[in-house]
Amino acid sequence: MSWIAIGALALVGIAIPLAMMAVSALLRPSVPEQGKKTTYESGEIPTGSGRVQLNIQYYMVALLFVVFDIETVMIFPWAVMYRSALEAGIPLSQALLPMLLFVGILVIGLVWAWRIGAVEWTTSLRASAQKTERQNT
Amino acid sequence: MVGPLQSEVVLFPERIANLLGLSGTLGEIVGALIGAFIVGNIMLAMTGVAGPWAKRKITAAFTDRIAVDRIGPFGLLTIVTDSVRLLSKELIIPEGADRPSYDIAPLILPASALLGFSVIPMGSGIQLADPEAGLALVFAFASIASISLVMGGYASNNKYSLMGGLRAVAQNIAYEIPLIVTAMSVVVFAGSLQMSTIVAEQTSTLVSLGGISIPAWYAFVNPFAFVLFLVANMAEIGRNPFDIPEAPTEIVAGYQTEYSSVYFVLFYLGEFLHVFLGGAIMATIFLGGPAGPILPGFVWFVIKIWAFFLFTQWCRSALPRVRIDQLIEIGWKGMLVLSFANLVLTAIIVGVIA
Repeated sequence: MSWIAIGALALVGIAIPLAMMAVSALLRPSVPEQGKKTTYESGEIPTGSGRVQLNIQYYMVALLFVVFDIETVMIFPWAVMYRSALEAGIPLSQALLPMLLFVGILVIGLVWAWRIGAVEWTTSLRASAQKTERQNT
Repeated sequence: MVGPLQSEVVLFPERIANLLGLSGTLGEIVGALIGAFIVGNIMLAMTGVAGPWAKRKITAAFTDRIAVDRIGPFGLLTIVTDSVRLLSKELIIPEGADRPSYDIAPLILPASALLGFSVIPMGSGIQLADPEAGLALVFAFASIASISLVMGGYASNNKYSLMGGLRAVAQNIAYEIPLIVTAMSVVVFAGSLQMSTIVAEQTSTLVSLGGISIPAWYAFVNPFAFVLFLVANMAEIGRNPFDIPEAPTEIVAGYQTEYSSVYFVLFYLGEFLHVFLGGAIMATIFLGGPAGPILPGFVWFVIKIWAFFLFTQWCRSALPRVRIDQLIEIGWKGMLVLSFANLVLTAIIVGVIA
């Protein structure tokens, strides 16, 4: 039952934007002038490809995310069961300690990532070199 | 915590099917489609009011201006004229755009937000579906948004857009974990991921002050988690001070730069839908869902999500944007640590009390 309803909303959610696109296609003008098709780059003619290379940091953060995301998925069943387990008389050492251990291992991982600078956004090498030069003089 | 409560809940599609006198699979499908159409249109109507009108009015009020007031009472008919104006603009496809994904991206954003509303209990019996994993599902649907942003950003063939799309992903993944871990501390209290159970658990009385009983909304039970969730939610939906993916003054609206006409409208709509979805998630798991005195449930639900919308607009007027490096640091070093501390503390407190 609930999956039918979710599927129905998915259909509606795609149908409404498509309908808007259709209405817009009927309304809007089409001016065959090509100059406007250049991509925006502060009014200059775009240089090079639009797909530029970017900071490695995006990749580092994404790697870290994979670890923690899987972890949150693992904690979900524990969070659901926790209170009913306690009410059923399971001692705290069995209901809570394994989860604390699990989180603890991941916190060690976070501390490690923190110390190697994985969650640090890039610093300009030249700027930091100048900074150390200033401090040394 | 599977109680007798759940069996009494009659969902919206079932109610429509009963009203039409249909039964069986046909009734289910017809009821679901009509229900989905109603829910979709309610939410689109709200974004219609919020986008072209309320946003301008609220910002104007904060900056002591008047804003739209030419057409209709309080300028309300601006909504109609604006939608016609935006839909009838020329669609400009930039050079070298990655065609299929350039066109699909604006579809995904509003669709993912609408999909999230399928499991939200809106009060007065309006809830399309109530699966056991409701809370996990709503987060899953909400985070589809970043796929749309990165698709649009990459397909635009524009450096700013690509940067905006990647920023959206970096931001979403940094704040997704604090968001879900904080929500988990609510699940520890409620003992279920089912939305109706989470709402039902919040109806009991927390304390009585002079004859007025304060309900055990999780915002009152665990205010620390509420604040954490609020901050993470602002980042997740990309509103100020975390509107890094758009950042008009830095990367000229990011992933939206090359979008015009109906595609731009769809992005705009989708963003507002995501703001309301964020408000709906907050209302459901922290503010007792559609619960409230005197007024019917649906009205309370609308009040709560509009209160969240007002809050986002307040922040938009009042708070400066954080920088991308600050954003990453706040996310990974601040919010993540605090949210785990919150979860562990909640678990210990619940364990000691129970």
